[in-house]
Amino acid sequence: MNKKLMTTALSSVLAMSALAGCSGSGGDAKQILRFGVSGFEGAFNPIISSNVYDAWVCDLIFEGLVNVDPEGGYVGELAQDGWVIDEDKHSYTFTLKDGIKFSDGTDLTTADVEFTYNTIKEADYAGPRTAVGAAIEKMNVIDDKTIEFVITPNDFGPAAIENFTYGIISKEHYQHSDWQSLNMLNEKPLGSGIMTLDSWAAKQNVILVKNENYWDAANAAKIDGVNFVNIEEDATLLASLANGEIDFCQLQAKKENVEEVGKTDGIHLVSYLANGYTYMAFNTARPQLNQKEVRQALLYALDRPSFLKQEYGADELAALGMAPISKTSWAYPGDDELNAYSYDLDKANKLLDDAGWTERETVTRTDGSTIECRKNANGDLLQVEWLVYPEATWPTTLSGLAFDSWGQIGVNLIVKQMDFNTVSATTKAGNHGEKNFDIYTMGFSLSVDPDPTGGLFDGDSIDEGSYNCTSWRDERSQELMIAGKQEFDQAKRAEIYKEWAKIQNENVPTAIVAYRAEIWGISDKVSGLDDIGVYTDWTSLVKNVTIAQ
Amino acid sequence: MKNYLIRRILQIIPVFLGILFILFFIISKAPGSITDNIMDPRMTPEMRAALQEKLDPNLPFYVKFWNWIVEALHGNFGFSNQHYKPVVDVIGANIGCTFALALTAMILSMLIGIPAGIVSATRQYSAVDNVLTVFSLAGLAFPTFFLGLLLLKVFAIDLRWFPIFGLSNATLAHAPFLTRLGDMAYHLILPAIVLGLAETASFMRYTRSSMLEVIRSDYIRTARAKGLNEKVVIYKHAFRNAMIPIVTLLGFRIPGLISGALMTETVFSLPGVGKLSVEAVNTRNYPLLLGINAMLTMTTLIATLVADVLYAVVDPRIRYD
Repeated sequence: MNKKLMTTALSSVLAMSALAGCSGSGGDAKQILRFGVSGFEGAFNPIISSNVYDAWVCDLIFEGLVNVDPEGGYVGELAQDGWVIDEDKHSYTFTLKDGIKFSDGTDLTTADVEFTYNTIKEADYAGPRTAVGAAIEKMNVIDDKTIEFVITPNDFGPAAIENFTYGIISKEHYQHSDWQSLNMLNEKPLGSGIMTLDSWAAKQNVILVKNENYWDAANAAKIDGVNFVNIEEDATLLASLANGEIDFCQLQAKKENVEEVGKTDGIHLVSYLANGYTYMAFNTARPQLNQKEVRQALLYALDRPSFLKQEYGADELAALGMAPISKTSWAYPGDDELNAYSYDLDKANKLLDDAGWTERETVTRTDGSTIECRKNANGDLLQVEWLVYPEATWPTTLSGLAFDSWGQIGVNLIVKQMDFNTVSATTKAGNHGEKNFDIYTMGFSLSVDPDPTGGLFDGDSIDEGSYNCTSWRDERSQELMIAGKQEFDQAKRAEIYKEWAKIQNENVPTAIVAYRAEIWGISDKVSGLDDIGVYTDWTSLVKNVTIAQ
Repeated sequence: MKNYLIRRILQIIPVFLGILFILFFIISKAPGSITDNIMDPRMTPEMRAALQEKLDPNLPFYVKFWNWIVEALHGNFGFSNQHYKPVVDVIGANIGCTFALALTAMILSMLIGIPAGIVSATRQYSAVDNVLTVFSLAGLAFPTFFLGLLLLKVFAIDLRWFPIFGLSNATLAHAPFLTRLGDMAYHLILPAIVLGLAETASFMRYTRSSMLEVIRSDYIRTARAKGLNEKVVIYKHAFRNAMIPIVTLLGFRIPGLISGALMTETVFSLPGVGKLSVEAVNTRNYPLLLGINAMLTMTTLIATLVADVLYAVVDPRIRYD
């Protein structure tokens, strides 16, 4: 009996693998772009999706009023170019292009646009776009094709255009009674974009097929579909790309990956400096860190070029952090306007001497060694605690370098390890002056517009729950930020941000550590994706993609 | 037996509630919240607080515990705000793969481990025994992720006998059910071998020591003295008795297998609850974390109950009254 059972089980397994073998080889002529990625969660609604992977799916299924152009400007997507900005009424007025239809063939009108933004403004809305809803005071539907958005005085400015990049959803399809019933439609998306959702499986794949009813025939997809396939490990991604199981993927910006792609036939690399930075924030309410000379000295005593070499390996994969404006932005003041804090221990020592940290006391460090730690006249030790999270490798590398070089200038560094979420919670807790940390490091992706208000550098958001955990506030810096937010003339704005960047660069309450690159591996069979860039998402290129068989 | 079963099932309830209570307490002490992951500079502290209130209201842990129990009794296990879906749906989308993987690995390890253990025990200190011992110790000592990467490199990337990633081939999404089932089995072969190998080693070690103990006992000597065939002595008399501790092992290995699947799931990019629970911790997705833990707790409790019942089946001396 047992033997029989086993034989049956074994033979059925064999039969299954034989079946799989057959089906695997059956090829079809459909042109499918296969993207290796992990992290999609199935929230395929542009006003709900909260990670970049779901957002990419949404970008292919939905279209917004405007989209970003390759230079970081804005162009109409559903809206015609030349939208009207009324500075007196604080309003943006958009007119839709002609003949726009959802993928089910129904017309997309301003009623759908209004519905989309009203959904964000609903009381039980619990998605990540609350700020968008709060920025829009009211909407006036003028006719089927024209809609006026009145922006709150606080949010009105050139950056307000970013509220209009989110995909427009169908009013008819997305009727809902509450937040949960709206979410029931996340897996049945209906938009006007070049793809539609065929099916998806959690942590396996997202299968998109061409929108056969796409309203703008000239820009319809040439391929039949896009498959997102879930691959977790970087090494597996690269192997799958080399073996031809996927057509492209984003890789970790590491030297080994660049070299590996270079060595492998049939694939090539695309890389560019990303719109974002890594930073090091100081708690300026601490007696050790409230003098700008001390913060400057700590930066002079940090060999960041060596750090970049050690962490990223290749020069094109990272650039030295200078100011809180992305190096790719039109608002970046230029390297020669800013201090790079080149590694110089003598300068660091002199700054600390001049700042009054002249006394010494023998201190045992966490690794058991002893240093002559600096002290000031009040008896405060120059001792700092740095919160490091292990989810990324760079904070560990950087703090490791600092442990040695800061030790040489008489600063005792204590590295405290905790997970990302705990670092985030610890630094946000408490009002300014009551924060319980000395230094922490993190990375930040930026929006296209350089407006820094509300973020890491805003002296008005330094209390409990805000991003600026440094407790540092400067009147001039605040004035400039507000002026920059309200100025519509880009050249004048650039001047304002130059002065602002120099203030931040000199006072360094938060120092920019590095600007990092993003790298992509792409199969040589795919054409049309090589223009992926800092402001050009791959999703906006899909319409041009063709795949050689 | 019936009384015993009822008693045991009734015991499960307080144990289950106790474990959940401890979990709620630990979670209530963990720093960070689901909104700490949202990194939008335009989100003011007031907006963040309002969102937190909607997603995870600030209540004492015992109140949350009570609410959870009441809702769970109504079949509502909460809402995963990371996925914008009910917890049950999120777990449902991942549990199948984990169970399929754990079950295949378990069967594989039993099919290899138990016979190997018997052979090892009956030929103690022979060349076969030594070789098997070395292999089993190596199997126990080998880190799962390393073995996984090694097999992946050799059999999937270089030889291309097996797929590199995933549970299914995206191009077969609309294929007939049997084809998709076959495709899934094909995708599970390498991961099941990896996960099963460490288990094989422990099954083998347990079987070997258990057999050795039994073989030395008086009734085996009696059986041999009666002039019984050696095969009958080993497989009928000794093996049945040696199986008793193995059955317990079976019950306890199931939760271990599910958590052990984490590494395998990561290396082979499989959907599964192991990875899901790690993500839930990182994003402070407490409803999901509780849902997964409640399910694993229940699985463990039921598995031990089944093991206890199986005791009586393999050992007629054991009676439950």
